Amino acid sequence: MIFDVAAQSLTSKSVLLPLEQLLGDCIGSRMPEVVVSRLNSEVASQAAAACPVQALRMEEQDGMRQLLLDYGKCTGCGHCIEAGGGALRAAASGVPCGVARRALVRCWNVETGNDITPEDAALDAAGKRILALLGRALNIRQVDAGSCNGCEAEIGALSSPYYDLERFGIHFVASPKHADMLLVTGPVTRNMEEALRNTYEATPSPRLVVAVGACGCSSGIFQGSYAVSGAVDAIIPVDGYIPGCPPTPAMLLTGILKVLAKQKSAL
Amino acid sequence: MSALIRSSRSSSGIAEALALLKAGNSRLVSIFGSIDDDGALSAQYLLDVDKREYRLFTGHIYGALPSVTGIVPGAAWYERELHDLFRVEIEGHPNLQPLVFHDGWPEGVHPRPGCSNAPLSHEYRFLKVEGEGVCEVPVGPVHAGIIEPGHFRFSVVGDTVLHLELHHFYTHKGVEALMEGRQVPDGVMLAESVSGDNSFAHAVAYCQAVENAFGISVPPRGRALRLIGLELERMLAHIGDFGALCGDVAFSVPSAYTARLKEGLLRASAGVTGTRFWRGLCRPGGMYRDLPAEGLHSLAECVAETARDFAELARKCLDTPSVQNRFETTGILKREEARALCVVGPVARASGLKTDVRRDHPYGHYRTVTVDVPTHITGDVMARARIRVEETAISALLIAQAVRETPSGAVSVPVPWQASAEGFSAVESPRGELLYFLRVREGRIRRCHIKSPSFQNWPALPHAMPDNIIADFPLINKSFNLSYSGCDR
Repeated sequence: MIFDVAAQSLTSKSVLLPLEQLLGDCIGSRMPEVVVSRLNSEVASQAAAACPVQALRMEEQDGMRQLLLDYGKCTGCGHCIEAGGGALRAAASGVPCGVARRALVRCWNVETGNDITPEDAALDAAGKRILALLGRALNIRQVDAGSCNGCEAEIGALSSPYYDLERFGIHFVASPKHADMLLVTGPVTRNMEEALRNTYEATPSPRLVVAVGACGCSSGIFQGSYAVSGAVDAIIPVDGYIPGCPPTPAMLLTGILKVLAKQKSAL
Repeated sequence: MSALIRSSRSSSGIAEALALLKAGNSRLVSIFGSIDDDGALSAQYLLDVDKREYRLFTGHIYGALPSVTGIVPGAAWYERELHDLFRVEIEGHPNLQPLVFHDGWPEGVHPRPGCSNAPLSHEYRFLKVEGEGVCEVPVGPVHAGIIEPGHFRFSVVGDTVLHLELHHFYTHKGVEALMEGRQVPDGVMLAESVSGDNSFAHAVAYCQAVENAFGISVPPRGRALRLIGLELERMLAHIGDFGALCGDVAFSVPSAYTARLKEGLLRASAGVTGTRFWRGLCRPGGMYRDLPAEGLHSLAECVAETARDFAELARKCLDTPSVQNRFETTGILKREEARALCVVGPVARASGLKTDVRRDHPYGHYRTVTVDVPTHITGDVMARARIRVEETAISALLIAQAVRETPSGAVSVPVPWQASAEGFSAVESPRGELLYFLRVREGRIRRCHIKSPSFQNWPALPHAMPDNIIADFPLINKSFNLSYSGCDR
């Protein structure tokens, strides 16, 4: 019987996705992106007004009207795409992952359509540097600090035969004492705040912390609840952020590798 | 869905509910508090009478509330939650310890600061099991795997478990209170994030409650699309659960194989709907957008192929002696205990209780189809594994049928939600009966209560543990596969 199971598994076609196909991919995440050619002041205002979580908003700076999109708050509900008259669409790639918190905010001049996101925040092609990192071991301890378990479902999928995280030398470990990186989800609830601090303290230095999901990045839709202490960076220092509700496995992988690449270039 | 039958709004409502529960032909569905329009505090008892109708009994709370836990043990956590969230005294409760708020919870932080400001009761104390060789093993809240946080306290002698106590609510996010004051359409997003792996069931349950409140009927095509999403979610959950069980008996090949089957379904979903978990697709009145016919057919093909593959894999696994050895007679939940604790979903069906909202209180497209409800009597890990295998096959057939016979036409109708109304809705989520109660005042949510199957089933888990060895706990726990976030809300 046990051999039958192995045979069924061995005779099925490989589904492993190459790294090039995964880096930057965000199909299925529902994250929006701006279609610059369709952007104008009117549709930008309509789209911003439709956003239920204030991830998309209009601001005026130096007499210039700009549209800000905070991926750290966006849950991908799609209201802006519906209201935005073609100026927004579901992104297939290019959502910033594994970057600094401020780099999750993109902005556009609504008159000219120009992307005016500050230079250091723009997405850089990290592919080559990331490939150079592969083969090094990274131990990750995942900490659910109050999430709805949507992020856990996607983090769990990273170990499936499609993504096979272990091929990059990345392992999920059972104890923070064995970890190089904490992958933290949730809005941090009051009941989990102490446990998260203790887990962080138990992780040996040097340690990396990555905040995952809209809730991990910004408390998301749970902001303002009496039972929530705040985003992950309100409790422990964070090195990189992965947006999404929930982020897809490809976004998680991109984010984790980008945080690593940044760390290596800083050495 | 069968209509919700209400008793009159008076203190006699509670007495009526008690009488029905004593009579024994009713199942307790939920107990929750609410603040009436006139500011008075009342308790609601929701019962399933004879599997025929849901009945809601309301009574004003004057002073303490008589505990029904002595009559229905499944009421214990509801009463503790009522005590925490509304600060209602419960008279005669056997263990009225804090449930939602942990030690060190800041004074003054409360969902309803208007409720009496009496301090919460004493610090939480675990039951102390004494005797020669007894020791305690604390586990969690941070666990070894990629799972949610919760605390388990075992009292063991050697490897054998004498007693297990749960200390949960680490992921309590105050969802019900966050709902209050929001406009009706904005509640969907919160509902989707109550338990992320059952997000579509929560979205449908919330939207059906809105539709029930405002007397809206979803067009047939919208109802059929909802059924496809709900059954797909059930397949994902059951296939994943089966894989996790295999992983826990060191059978890692099928565990990886089910992860592959699951991911195949998720990617097919993303291809057709643009979302892996059907988030953002359901809205009050129907579906957010239509799904193209060719997309639905390719999804149905993927579903059929996955179901075939999974059935073959599951058969081979369950025929393997080492798997049988670990699954059989492990973690038995007896039928009487399951009934007393009002257990729902696959766990109930594995312990011989034939209960399924899709059959007992059909809603949406389920009114036009027949749903087989498999049951088993052994109540062990094997029974819970078999239920999941059988239900996966049934879900695949329901999807195939719905795709083949999808009615044409609109997928949604507008809902005049800017008014005042009350509604409720029950859905058979992958974990069992999921129910939303909604009170709307001038287009804003005044009260939203979520009865989650995990909240109902968690207290049953410790009853399956005594005399099992502690090394079998992960297996038994996964065979229940309850949501922490869904329970804690």
